[in-house]
Amino acid sequence: MGRCSMKMIRAIVRPEKVDRVADALEEAGFVALTKLDVFGRGKQKGIRVGEMVYDSLSKTMLMIVVDDDRLQEAVRVIEESARTGNIGDGKIFVTPVEEAHTIRTGARGL
Amino acid sequence: MKEVVAIIQMKKMEETKNALDTVGFPAFTAYKAQGRGKQRGLEIVYPSDLEELREGSVKFLPKRMISVVVEDEFVPAVVAVITRVNRTGNIGDGRIFVSPIEESVRIRTGERGSEAVS
Repeated sequence: MGRCSMKMIRAIVRPEKVDRVADALEEAGFVALTKLDVFGRGKQKGIRVGEMVYDSLSKTMLMIVVDDDRLQEAVRVIEESARTGNIGDGKIFVTPVEEAHTIRTGARGL
Repeated sequence: MKEVVAIIQMKKMEETKNALDTVGFPAFTAYKAQGRGKQRGLEIVYPSDLEELREGSVKFLPKRMISVVVEDEFVPAVVAVITRVNRTGNIGDGRIFVSPIEESVRIRTGERGSEAVS
């Protein structure tokens, strides 16, 4: 198995967009995914509503691991389905994954 | 350094923690996560006449995600321990991913690199 043949995509998206993103990913053939509830802020430092300042906003992090050659497709699907055009749509980060193991079978790879 | 990310069954958390501790990897970070594999979650057939309930399925199952950062040479050991404890042979046992880590810092002392994860 070659090194770095997979990538982990971590997308921080609006919680209300998660179902749409998950459905879009499923349609494109990326069924497996993990999601986590997270809190964070972007360069706008949270949000200010009148007197109230929200330092960090709740987001959902989607984590999927894909083969290198399908990376761009997966990123595009997430981008398009998570976009509203407003501040707070989120970010997508991509990191290398060197190995993947399925616990049930011990098999290598996705 | 490498990060070993394992997505496992919730009920295996305690056992996994103990096993990792026994072989000398007590440090880890745990997350509550929800996920699904290629089986698309669980299909449940509700005995209902309502259309929307009959199509009911659990799209995401509750999981635990643990992240262990170790030196390169310990990766096979960590993977082996997590696999041994979590394997039941059923669908949903989870996945393990290994990624490179470029830098780590122990905040208390400012130690970097391998000293920070030892």
